Amino acid sequence: METRRFSPRRTIALALLLSTAPFALAACGSDDDDTGSGSAGASTASAQSDSSGGGGDPIKVGSLFSVTGPPAVVGDKMRKGLELAVDELNEAGGVEGRRLEVVFYDPAGDTAKAVDQTRRLISRDDVDVVVGGGSQSGIALAMQPLLQRADKLFMATEGAREIVQPADERPTTFKSTFNDTIVLQRTADFWNARGVRAVGFLPDTSGFGESAKAELERLAPEAGIEVQSESFDPTATNLTPQLTNLRRANPQAYVAWTTTPAATTFLKNAQQLGLDRNLLGLGFGSADPAFYEQAGAAARGALLSAGKLPIYDRLPDGDPQKAIITRFADAYEAKYNEPANVFAAQAYDGVQLVAEAIRASGGELSGEALAEALEGLGSYQGVNGDFRYTAEDHSGLGVDAVAISEWDGRRFVPARDGLTE
Amino acid sequence: MTDFLQLTFSGLTTGAAYALVALGFAIVFRGTRAINFAQGEYVMLAGVTAGALHQWADPPLAVVVLVVVLMGALCGLATEVICVRFTRTPNPNTITLATIGLGVAIKAVVLLVTDRQAYTLPGFSGTSTLHVGGAVLDAQALWNCALVAVAAGALAAFLRWAPLGVALRASADDGEMAAASGFSRRGAAAWSFALAGALAAAAGAGLAAVSPVNYDFGTLLGLKGFAAAMLGGLGSMPGAVVGGFAIGLMEAWFAGYVSSTYADVVAFSILLIVLFTRPTGLFAAVKVERV
Repeated sequence: METRRFSPRRTIALALLLSTAPFALAACGSDDDDTGSGSAGASTASAQSDSSGGGGDPIKVGSLFSVTGPPAVVGDKMRKGLELAVDELNEAGGVEGRRLEVVFYDPAGDTAKAVDQTRRLISRDDVDVVVGGGSQSGIALAMQPLLQRADKLFMATEGAREIVQPADERPTTFKSTFNDTIVLQRTADFWNARGVRAVGFLPDTSGFGESAKAELERLAPEAGIEVQSESFDPTATNLTPQLTNLRRANPQAYVAWTTTPAATTFLKNAQQLGLDRNLLGLGFGSADPAFYEQAGAAARGALLSAGKLPIYDRLPDGDPQKAIITRFADAYEAKYNEPANVFAAQAYDGVQLVAEAIRASGGELSGEALAEALEGLGSYQGVNGDFRYTAEDHSGLGVDAVAISEWDGRRFVPARDGLTE
Repeated sequence: MTDFLQLTFSGLTTGAAYALVALGFAIVFRGTRAINFAQGEYVMLAGVTAGALHQWADPPLAVVVLVVVLMGALCGLATEVICVRFTRTPNPNTITLATIGLGVAIKAVVLLVTDRQAYTLPGFSGTSTLHVGGAVLDAQALWNCALVAVAAGALAAFLRWAPLGVALRASADDGEMAAASGFSRRGAAAWSFALAGALAAAAGAGLAAVSPVNYDFGTLLGLKGFAAAMLGGLGSMPGAVVGGFAIGLMEAWFAGYVSSTYADVVAFSILLIVLFTRPTGLFAAVKVERV
């Protein structure tokens, strides 16, 4: 008689229970990997340690970017953008006669680790300012109160509005990135210019998509545009049901809002359903040309609501951003042998803005003094746009920084009515 | 009516994917009585490899498919070595657990190697679409449905009539007895993993032609394929096919008529209902046990 018969029910129950284990394990695993790089620590990367940087102690710039872990693609570009800005400033003799020295940590997408590293920046490394909030909005949000208590200026390079809002409760926190509010506002203006009255909106169910959904539904009525939304999972492989639902209302434009390859699926499915007679568009999370290339013919004529970087060489000569983007894009490509993107530009702008603030404050480095200096800068022309910080607005960028571009089959070009006059 | 037809086509497209994954679960279960939780990651790996191969060398599509299917079979064999041979006491539970670990490892390696890039293949018959009753069907969806039919038919016939297939079933049923007749349990495991790997690879190539595939694509697909296999009855080939299409269709209808935000809940709700009410699934045979 056999006593240990196989029981399917038990095996399956066990398997289900344990199939959750790898997620926990994976999390621990990545922790272990990176404590190594984290505690071996702080690579004090001052590119020009023996340079002409001028006398006096260096200004210490603390920085957290996730160059490993889930946000690695974003973090890698940000770190490169930051390095480029610091090198350029040091080569030009530093800021207020003092060299910039970067103290860098990699939180690898882990908020708890980032909080530790932020404490270390404040107490052990004694940095003067911090640029970069770990390449993930959640991390930047967690770092914000620590840095505010220590009276350090925090220039976040992450997207979420909440990092700097409300500004009166976050006096020393700024960011150098787009709010989805202004990108959507600019897109709505574009729809108005093109006579679009009804829009089908497809946000993914991540924070990025959900935030855009709330914003668009808030601002669309003011713009006189009717919006229907259908959400989808970021890993979706088929958006036909969503599109089928949306087309009942006969919208003249369809827009998907995601950072994943579902962007490509959206373009392909829309073409299959014959919806490409209408305007098809993607948000600034899909600014990567690969998403359009992989959709092939379905992407031709598709729109992108993002900054001006993808079309900088096609901007009219009168555009105030053209010169600085060209200089940045050339320098970045020369240094790293790859095209620059919006994330690199965010970090680059972040460092340059902080340098402007230090100059304006006459070298005074307290968070309060630098915040006052940033709010008093008036207008600063950065790569991603014209920054106009005020006491109420610590995001700085306005709708004029956003452009609607069009994919012509090989690259992005400015769309008709796509640039603010 | 047009909308209903469109949603149905959409359900068939995703259902074909779930059915292919479910068939992979079925064959491994037949050979080892274990559940191969790396199945979804196999599909992802094959999709990424096919797309990368296409982008890099651009050989004819048939060559791409052939190469990834061979690679898939080899991956299956490697799985057997890692999850069965290296396990001290290979029994269904330990094999199942080992495949979970392997799945996580595959995902991590692909993430690192591809740097999060997504890959895609052109449709097997270009970008052609069919128009039926006002609704549109991607020709690739038909290819994938055909793939399901061929795979399920071939596997069922293999298990029923081929000597090796019969030996596989015998070994899973009573390993000691089969071993005494000259067919090792490990041989059975190796063959079933190789078949599952080849199947996953075909699925990966077919899916990469429908939507881009990146490192993150396999996990949810694998779990939904598992739900499909459970619904049909674990180990049953017709069950896997019916389960896959049933879940694909219900998801599409749910997304169309109820809520697209929560469409992913459908597969797992079905999984729970099946586990609570009928853990053997729709098609499982009643097993007679002599003691």
